[in-house]
Amino acid sequence: MSNTPATAAASSSKSKAAGTSQPQEKRKTLFQKELQHMMYGFGDEQNPLPETVALVEDIVVEYVTDLTHKAQEIGSKRGRLLVDDFLYLIRKDLPKLNRCRELLAMQEELKQARKAFDVDEKELVD
Amino acid sequence: MKHSKDPFEAAIEEEQEESPPESPVGGGGGGGGDGSEEGRAEIDQTAEEDERPVDVRRPAKKSKTSVAVAEARNKDDDEEEEEENMEVELTKYPTSADPAKMAKMQTILSQFTEDQMSRYESFRRSALQRPQMKKLLIGVTGSQKIGMPMIIVVCGIAKMFVGELVETARVVMAERKESGPIRPCHIRESYRRLKLEGKVPKRSVPRLFR
Repeated sequence: MSNTPATAAASSSKSKAAGTSQPQEKRKTLFQKELQHMMYGFGDEQNPLPETVALVEDIVVEYVTDLTHKAQEIGSKRGRLLVDDFLYLIRKDLPKLNRCRELLAMQEELKQARKAFDVDEKELVD
Repeated sequence: MKHSKDPFEAAIEEEQEESPPESPVGGGGGGGGDGSEEGRAEIDQTAEEDERPVDVRRPAKKSKTSVAVAEARNKDDDEEEEEENMEVELTKYPTSADPAKMAKMQTILSQFTEDQMSRYESFRRSALQRPQMKKLLIGVTGSQKIGMPMIIVVCGIAKMFVGELVETARVVMAERKESGPIRPCHIRESYRRLKLEGKVPKRSVPRLFR
Protein backbone atom coordinates (compact mmCIF):
# COMPACT_ATOMS: atom_id res chain seq x y z
CA MET A 1 0.00 0.00 0.00
CA SER A 2 1.69 3.20 -1.05
CA ASN A 3 1.18 6.46 0.68
CA THR A 4 0.62 9.36 -1.62
CA PRO A 5 1.47 12.87 -0.48
CA ALA A 6 -1.54 14.58 0.89
CA THR A 7 -1.57 17.52 -1.48
CA ALA A 8 -4.56 16.10 -3.23
CA ALA A 9 -5.76 15.01 0.09
CA ALA A 10 -8.64 13.12 -1.37
CA SER A 11 -6.32 10.48 -2.60
CA SER A 12 -4.23 10.14 0.52
CA SER A 13 -4.18 6.58 1.56
CA LYS A 14 -4.67 5.36 5.05
CA SER A 15 -2.99 2.42 6.61
CA LYS A 16 -5.26 0.36 8.73
CA ALA A 17 -2.74 -0.24 11.44
CA ALA A 18 -2.15 3.36 12.32
CA GLY A 19 1.53 3.23 11.51
CA THR A 20 3.42 3.94 8.34
CA SER A 21 3.88 1.06 6.02
CA GLN A 22 7.30 2.12 4.82
CA PRO A 23 9.86 3.64 7.15
CA GLN A 24 11.30 6.13 4.65
CA GLU A 25 8.04 7.86 3.80
CA LYS A 26 6.70 10.61 5.97
CA ARG A 27 3.00 11.07 6.37
CA LYS A 28 2.03 14.59 5.63
CA THR A 29 -0.25 15.67 8.41
CA LEU A 30 -2.56 18.58 7.93
CA PHE A 31 -4.10 19.21 11.29
CA GLN A 32 -1.97 17.40 13.77
CA LYS A 33 -1.15 20.12 16.26
CA GLU A 34 -4.59 21.57 16.41
CA LEU A 35 -6.15 18.15 16.63
CA GLN A 36 -4.18 17.41 19.77
CA HIS A 37 -5.60 20.46 21.52
CA MET A 38 -9.01 19.74 20.16
CA MET A 39 -9.02 16.17 21.40
CA TYR A 40 -7.94 17.32 24.81
CA GLY A 41 -10.76 19.80 24.83
CA PHE A 42 -13.24 17.10 23.98
CA GLY A 43 -12.16 14.60 26.59
CA ASP A 44 -8.89 12.96 25.76
CA GLU A 45 -5.73 13.27 27.79
CA GLN A 46 -3.52 16.32 27.72
CA ASN A 47 -1.21 14.51 25.33
CA PRO A 48 -3.18 12.14 23.15
CA LEU A 49 -1.43 9.16 21.67
CA PRO A 50 0.13 10.02 18.31
CA GLU A 51 -1.43 7.04 16.61
CA THR A 52 -4.82 8.14 17.84
CA VAL A 53 -4.27 11.63 16.51
CA ALA A 54 -3.13 10.24 13.18
CA LEU A 55 -6.21 8.06 12.95
CA VAL A 56 -8.53 10.90 13.85
CA GLU A 57 -6.87 13.08 11.24
CA ASP A 58 -7.38 10.41 8.61
CA ILE A 59 -10.99 10.03 9.58
CA VAL A 60 -11.57 13.77 9.51
CA VAL A 61 -9.94 14.13 6.11
CA GLU A 62 -12.07 11.33 4.79
CA TYR A 63 -15.15 12.89 6.35
CA VAL A 64 -14.49 16.28 4.81
CA THR A 65 -13.71 14.67 1.48
CA ASP A 66 -16.89 12.63 1.39
CA LEU A 67 -18.96 15.53 2.61
CA THR A 68 -17.49 17.79 -0.04
CA HIS A 69 -18.06 15.25 -2.78
CA LYS A 70 -21.69 14.97 -1.79
CA ALA A 71 -22.00 18.74 -1.64
CA GLN A 72 -20.51 18.97 -5.09
CA GLU A 73 -23.03 16.52 -6.42
CA ILE A 74 -25.78 18.67 -5.05
CA GLY A 75 -24.12 21.85 -6.21
CA SER A 76 -23.56 20.59 -9.71
CA LYS A 77 -27.30 20.69 -10.30
CA ARG A 78 -27.36 24.44 -9.90
CA GLY A 79 -23.93 25.09 -11.33
CA ARG A 80 -21.58 26.04 -8.52
CA LEU A 81 -20.69 24.68 -5.17
CA LEU A 82 -22.21 26.87 -2.51
CA VAL A 83 -22.21 26.97 1.25
CA ASP A 84 -25.89 26.10 1.17
CA ASP A 85 -25.01 22.69 -0.21
CA PHE A 86 -23.11 21.91 2.96
CA LEU A 87 -25.91 23.26 5.07
CA TYR A 88 -28.36 21.07 3.22
CA LEU A 89 -26.24 18.02 3.91
CA ILE A 90 -26.17 18.58 7.64
CA ARG A 91 -29.78 19.67 7.88
CA LYS A 92 -30.67 16.64 9.96
CA ASP A 93 -27.91 17.24 12.45
CA LEU A 94 -29.27 20.11 14.48
CA PRO A 95 -26.24 20.92 16.63
CA LYS A 96 -24.04 21.21 13.58
CA LEU A 97 -26.59 23.16 11.65
CA ASN A 98 -27.10 25.69 14.40
CA ARG A 99 -23.41 26.00 14.93
CA CYS A 100 -22.87 26.72 11.24
CA ARG A 101 -25.58 29.35 11.28
CA GLU A 102 -23.92 30.94 14.25
CA LEU A 103 -20.53 30.92 12.55
CA LEU A 104 -21.93 32.51 9.43
CA ALA A 105 -23.75 35.16 11.43
CA MET A 106 -20.59 35.95 13.36
CA GLN A 107 -18.58 36.21 10.21
CA GLU A 108 -21.10 38.58 8.75
CA GLU A 109 -20.98 40.72 11.84
CA LEU A 110 -17.21 40.81 11.84
CA LYS A 111 -17.27 41.88 8.23
CA GLN A 112 -19.62 44.73 9.07
CA ALA A 113 -17.51 45.72 12.02
CA ARG A 114 -14.38 45.78 9.93
CA LYS A 115 -16.04 47.87 7.31
CA ALA A 116 -17.17 50.33 9.92
CA PHE A 117 -13.70 50.37 11.39
CA ASP A 118 -12.09 51.11 8.05
CA VAL A 119 -14.53 53.87 7.38
CA ASP A 120 -13.83 55.40 10.77
CA GLU A 121 -10.12 55.20 10.24
CA LYS A 122 -10.37 56.93 6.96
CA GLU A 123 -12.38 59.70 8.52
CA LEU A 124 -9.81 60.10 11.22
CA VAL A 125 -7.02 60.38 8.74
CA ASP A 126 -8.77 62.95 6.65
CA MET B 1 -5.55 32.10 3.23
CA LYS B 2 -3.97 34.12 5.97
CA HIS B 3 -6.02 34.20 9.01
CA SER B 4 -6.23 37.77 10.08
CA LYS B 5 -4.91 40.97 8.72
CA ASP B 6 -7.69 43.06 10.01
CA PRO B 7 -7.11 45.40 12.89
CA PHE B 8 -9.45 43.71 15.33
CA GLU B 9 -8.00 40.29 15.19
CA ALA B 10 -4.44 41.50 15.01
CA ALA B 11 -4.96 43.62 18.07
CA ILE B 12 -6.49 40.78 19.91
CA GLU B 13 -3.59 38.60 19.12
CA GLU B 14 -1.47 40.92 21.17
CA GLU B 15 -3.71 41.22 24.13
CA GLN B 16 -6.01 38.43 24.60
CA GLU B 17 -8.16 40.21 27.09
CA GLU B 18 -9.04 43.08 24.90
CA SER B 19 -12.70 43.79 24.70
CA PRO B 20 -14.42 43.56 21.35
CA PRO B 21 -15.54 46.68 19.52
CA GLU B 22 -19.05 45.53 19.81
CA SER B 23 -20.58 42.57 21.42
CA PRO B 24 -22.02 40.38 18.77
CA VAL B 25 -25.41 38.90 19.17
CA GLY B 26 -25.44 35.22 19.54
CA GLY B 27 -26.83 33.01 16.89
CA GLY B 28 -29.43 31.65 19.19
CA GLY B 29 -29.60 29.57 22.26
CA GLY B 30 -28.77 25.92 22.40
CA GLY B 31 -30.36 24.35 19.45
CA GLY B 32 -28.93 20.93 19.96
CA GLY B 33 -31.36 18.25 20.81
CA ASP B 34 -29.09 16.20 22.98
CA GLY B 35 -27.82 19.12 24.89
CA SER B 36 -28.51 18.04 28.38
CA GLU B 37 -27.53 14.45 28.34
CA GLU B 38 -25.52 13.27 31.24
CA GLY B 39 -25.82 16.53 32.98
CA ARG B 40 -23.81 18.40 30.45
CA ALA B 41 -24.45 22.06 30.23
CA GLU B 42 -25.01 23.68 26.96
CA ILE B 43 -22.36 26.02 25.92
CA ASP B 44 -23.22 28.66 23.49
CA GLN B 45 -20.61 30.51 21.79
CA THR B 46 -20.63 33.69 19.94
CA ALA B 47 -18.01 36.09 18.97
CA GLU B 48 -15.33 33.90 20.27
CA GLU B 49 -13.99 34.69 16.91
CA ASP B 50 -12.48 37.89 18.05
CA GLU B 51 -10.70 36.24 20.80
CA ARG B 52 -8.80 33.70 19.04
CA PRO B 53 -5.24 34.22 18.27
CA VAL B 54 -5.19 31.38 15.87
CA ASP B 55 -8.18 30.47 13.91
CA VAL B 56 -11.57 31.43 14.37
CA ARG B 57 -14.26 29.75 15.54
CA ARG B 58 -14.26 27.74 17.92
CA PRO B 59 -15.63 25.10 19.44
CA ALA B 60 -18.61 25.46 21.54
CA LYS B 61 -20.92 23.20 19.85
CA LYS B 62 -24.25 23.83 21.28
CA SER B 63 -24.88 20.49 22.71
CA LYS B 64 -21.45 19.32 23.52
CA THR B 65 -19.01 20.15 26.20
CA SER B 66 -15.99 18.39 27.40
CA VAL B 67 -16.44 15.40 29.60
CA ALA B 68 -14.74 17.30 32.39
CA VAL B 69 -17.70 19.58 32.62
CA ALA B 70 -20.00 16.68 33.00
CA GLU B 71 -18.16 15.75 36.13
CA ALA B 72 -18.34 19.24 37.52
CA ARG B 73 -18.27 19.43 41.24
CA ASN B 74 -18.87 22.45 43.40
CA LYS B 75 -15.31 22.87 44.41
CA ASP B 76 -13.93 26.27 45.05
CA ASP B 77 -10.51 26.71 43.77
CA ASP B 78 -7.55 28.69 44.83
CA GLU B 79 -6.93 29.55 41.27
CA GLU B 80 -9.37 32.36 41.40
CA GLU B 81 -7.06 34.62 39.62
CA GLU B 82 -6.74 32.30 36.73
CA GLU B 83 -10.41 31.72 36.57
CA GLU B 84 -11.02 35.38 36.80
CA ASN B 85 -8.82 36.03 33.85
CA MET B 86 -10.64 33.44 31.88
CA GLU B 87 -13.91 34.83 33.00
CA VAL B 88 -12.92 38.29 32.03
CA GLU B 89 -12.31 37.10 28.53
CA LEU B 90 -15.44 35.10 28.38
CA THR B 91 -17.77 37.61 29.95
CA LYS B 92 -16.91 40.09 27.31
CA TYR B 93 -18.64 37.85 24.85
CA PRO B 94 -22.22 37.12 25.69
CA THR B 95 -22.85 33.49 25.19
CA SER B 96 -26.15 34.40 23.69
CA ALA B 97 -28.51 37.30 23.68
CA ASP B 98 -30.25 35.61 26.54
CA PRO B 99 -29.15 36.96 29.91
CA ALA B 100 -30.45 33.88 31.68
CA LYS B 101 -28.13 31.73 29.63
CA MET B 102 -25.28 34.08 30.36
CA ALA B 103 -25.94 33.93 34.06
CA LYS B 104 -26.06 30.16 33.90
CA MET B 105 -22.75 30.09 32.09
CA GLN B 106 -21.21 32.38 34.64
CA THR B 107 -22.20 30.21 37.54
CA ILE B 108 -20.88 27.14 35.82
CA LEU B 109 -17.62 28.74 34.82
CA SER B 110 -17.01 30.18 38.23
CA GLN B 111 -17.08 26.71 39.71
CA PHE B 112 -14.64 25.10 37.37
CA THR B 113 -11.55 23.49 38.73
CA GLU B 114 -8.26 24.37 37.16
CA ASP B 115 -8.32 21.13 35.24
CA GLN B 116 -11.77 21.77 33.90
CA MET B 117 -10.93 25.31 33.01
CA SER B 118 -7.87 24.26 31.07
CA ARG B 119 -9.86 21.68 29.19
CA TYR B 120 -12.61 24.15 28.49
CA GLU B 121 -10.06 26.61 27.25
CA SER B 122 -8.67 24.04 24.84
CA PHE B 123 -12.18 23.27 23.76
CA ARG B 124 -12.93 26.86 22.95
CA ARG B 125 -9.65 27.83 21.44
CA SER B 126 -8.81 24.89 19.28
CA ALA B 127 -9.83 24.97 15.67
CA LEU B 128 -8.76 23.44 12.45
CA GLN B 129 -6.56 25.78 10.53
CA ARG B 130 -8.17 27.56 7.68
CA PRO B 131 -5.30 27.54 5.20
CA GLN B 132 -4.96 23.80 5.59
CA MET B 133 -8.66 23.31 5.19
CA LYS B 134 -8.63 25.49 2.13
CA LYS B 135 -5.89 23.36 0.65
CA LEU B 136 -7.89 20.27 1.34
CA LEU B 137 -11.07 21.66 -0.15
CA ILE B 138 -9.31 22.86 -3.28
CA GLY B 139 -7.79 19.44 -3.67
CA VAL B 140 -11.11 17.72 -3.27
CA THR B 141 -13.21 19.97 -5.42
CA GLY B 142 -10.65 20.67 -8.08
CA SER B 143 -11.74 24.27 -8.29
CA GLN B 144 -9.33 27.04 -7.50
CA LYS B 145 -11.60 29.32 -5.60
CA ILE B 146 -13.12 28.43 -2.28
CA GLY B 147 -14.95 31.15 -0.43
CA MET B 148 -14.23 32.03 3.18
CA PRO B 149 -17.71 31.18 4.45
CA MET B 150 -17.34 27.71 3.06
CA ILE B 151 -14.00 27.16 4.76
CA ILE B 152 -15.36 28.45 8.04
CA VAL B 153 -18.41 26.23 7.84
CA VAL B 154 -16.44 23.14 6.98
CA CYS B 155 -13.96 23.81 9.77
CA GLY B 156 -16.85 24.12 12.18
CA ILE B 157 -18.50 20.95 10.97
CA ALA B 158 -15.24 19.03 11.14
CA LYS B 159 -14.56 20.24 14.65
CA MET B 160 -17.93 19.07 15.82
CA PHE B 161 -17.31 15.77 14.13
CA VAL B 162 -14.07 15.38 16.05
CA GLY B 163 -16.06 16.10 19.17
CA GLU B 164 -18.52 13.39 18.37
CA LEU B 165 -15.71 10.95 17.68
CA VAL B 166 -13.85 11.66 20.89
CA GLU B 167 -16.93 11.68 23.07
CA THR B 168 -18.24 8.45 21.61
CA ALA B 169 -14.77 6.95 22.08
CA ARG B 170 -14.94 7.89 25.75
CA VAL B 171 -18.32 6.21 25.99
CA VAL B 172 -16.83 3.11 24.43
CA MET B 173 -14.01 3.19 26.94
CA ALA B 174 -16.44 3.49 29.80
CA GLU B 175 -18.32 0.49 28.53
CA ARG B 176 -15.17 -1.51 28.33
CA LYS B 177 -14.12 -0.18 31.71
CA GLU B 178 -10.82 1.09 30.42
CA SER B 179 -9.02 4.24 31.34
CA GLY B 180 -6.15 6.33 30.16
CA PRO B 181 -5.55 7.92 26.79
CA ILE B 182 -7.86 7.08 23.95
CA ARG B 183 -6.50 4.39 21.74
CA PRO B 184 -7.11 3.85 18.02
CA CYS B 185 -9.33 0.84 18.70
CA HIS B 186 -11.71 3.08 20.63
CA ILE B 187 -11.78 5.59 17.81
CA ARG B 188 -12.50 2.86 15.33
CA GLU B 189 -15.37 1.55 17.36
CA SER B 190 -16.63 5.08 17.83
CA TYR B 191 -16.43 5.68 14.10
CA ARG B 192 -18.32 2.48 13.45
CA ARG B 193 -21.09 3.57 15.79
CA LEU B 194 -21.32 7.00 14.22
CA LYS B 195 -21.66 5.33 10.84
CA LEU B 196 -24.54 3.28 12.16
CA GLU B 197 -26.18 6.42 13.45
CA GLY B 198 -25.86 7.96 10.03
CA LYS B 199 -23.67 10.82 11.08
CA VAL B 200 -20.96 9.94 8.61
CA PRO B 201 -21.66 10.60 4.93
CA LYS B 202 -21.65 7.41 2.99
CA ARG B 203 -19.88 7.17 -0.28
CA SER B 204 -22.15 6.31 -3.16
CA VAL B 205 -19.19 4.68 -4.86
CA PRO B 206 -17.04 2.53 -2.60
CA ARG B 207 -13.50 3.69 -2.10
CA LEU B 208 -11.35 1.48 -4.26
CA PHE B 209 -7.70 2.29 -3.85
CA ARG B 210 -6.30 3.32 -0.54
